[in-house]
Amino acid sequence: MIYLDNAATSFPKPAGCLERALERYLQLGASPGRGGYDLAVEAEDAVSAVRRKLCRFFGAPEDYRVCFTYNATDALNLLIQGLLKRGDHVVSSRLEHNSVLRPLHHLRKQGRITFDLVSFSPHGFVEPEQVAAAIKPTTKLVILTHASNVLGTVQPVKEIAAVCRARGVPLVLDASQSAGAVPIRMKEWAVQGIAFTGHKSLLGPTGIGGVLIGPELDPDPIRFGGTGIDSKSLYHVREYPYRLEAGTINLLGILGLDNTLNYVDQTREASFQHEMSLLEKLRDGLMKLSRVRLYCVGDLRNHLPLLTCTLDGHRSDDVGAILDGDFGIAVRAGLHCSPLVHQDLGSLERGAVRFSLGPFTTEAEIEETVKAMTAIAR
Amino acid sequence: MKTGVPGSQEGKVGGRCKRTIEGREVVFDEEGFFDDFEDWSEEIFETLAQESGLSPVTEQHRQVVRFLREFYAYNGRAPLNNQLRKGIGLSLLELEALFPGGLKHGARRLAGLPNPKTCN
Repeated sequence: MIYLDNAATSFPKPAGCLERALERYLQLGASPGRGGYDLAVEAEDAVSAVRRKLCRFFGAPEDYRVCFTYNATDALNLLIQGLLKRGDHVVSSRLEHNSVLRPLHHLRKQGRITFDLVSFSPHGFVEPEQVAAAIKPTTKLVILTHASNVLGTVQPVKEIAAVCRARGVPLVLDASQSAGAVPIRMKEWAVQGIAFTGHKSLLGPTGIGGVLIGPELDPDPIRFGGTGIDSKSLYHVREYPYRLEAGTINLLGILGLDNTLNYVDQTREASFQHEMSLLEKLRDGLMKLSRVRLYCVGDLRNHLPLLTCTLDGHRSDDVGAILDGDFGIAVRAGLHCSPLVHQDLGSLERGAVRFSLGPFTTEAEIEETVKAMTAIAR
Repeated sequence: MKTGVPGSQEGKVGGRCKRTIEGREVVFDEEGFFDDFEDWSEEIFETLAQESGLSPVTEQHRQVVRFLREFYAYNGRAPLNNQLRKGIGLSLLELEALFPGGLKHGARRLAGLPNPKTCN
């Protein structure tokens, strides 16, 4: 099979990283921070080391708080629901995934918040001036995707963060697609919070993600329960990381992430260049097909190794099924959980086909993919 | 859904559409997929096929629909893409061309299989 759905989850994974994590888990698998015996303390130490590693990886000082979650959606819900109070206004964009759109819409439906969604340019970028124009005196948060999961465009975060800082509004990034693919510099860019997942470009297992929070943000917990500390209290603890981590954390996922973070750190730059070079080949191949319409790939600078297209005369879900059934190529067809992007592209009705490359994608696979699309578009 | 089909009556139920076709009341979802697999009949298929622009309905169309229904009835799910290709002896590209609505909105819908509702 040719796997081109890495934006959904990376596959294959670097097997050695996960095998070593499992071995370690089998030796260390006590509940971190839930006991005074040595094994539990050692497990807690291992988890703390990963928290520090994540700070370094995302360019955050060690006083930034790292809390583990199930995935980026979970992390975004913690931030959105934990930070916003009744009457607050939020600025976000039409590029967002449902992991941001749905929490915002639910909170608005409950009468708790209002929000404005900034449009994106014809090239797929949110412009800092538009964000500035949308900020109101009641705006308490700007939350944006770092990179679009449909278009692959990497947003000008540094410039947007400068606008937010000037207006005194914290910026939170949804780094689902960008974490592990492109560098993130939280402190340098003055980004106050990020939500990430471990299983995409960080190449880790599913079920592990997290938030990094700067000192200016203090989200209320939205889940309550056991933390292993202050058990006498009937209320959830205020201290980080326990504040946002109710219940036993995913130690196996954290150990897996620990190893893949090292792997990504060592391979990211070369891997990204490899993937972008293949993306260019894929784009050039598809551009020759008159019935294929590509979106926002004219300039591949500030871009992730993914592209989205539609094929005139075909529904995207059928194209996805044909690529899979006839050619053994796995892609993502449909709306990619980002309906507003498709509404703006005009692909809401028939969806679009997304090809997302990974570190293990080969040139031969891209050639096969272009051949397959040529046959379908004939 | 197309309207004005002789002998059919229509009514909206929430986001769904209730119609009487060939003397049988059938509920469709917002995309025209059968609500209940058991509501399908060959006569209803012929009517819906005609509405979708499939004319004439050939034995090849009927074979595809039979395969889909038998697979679903036996396995409780639609065939995987690979199973569909092998089961009908056609490439999915050929199958897509065989039905005006294509694979999902054509063959699958007309065979009375439920709407897969994948990422749309």
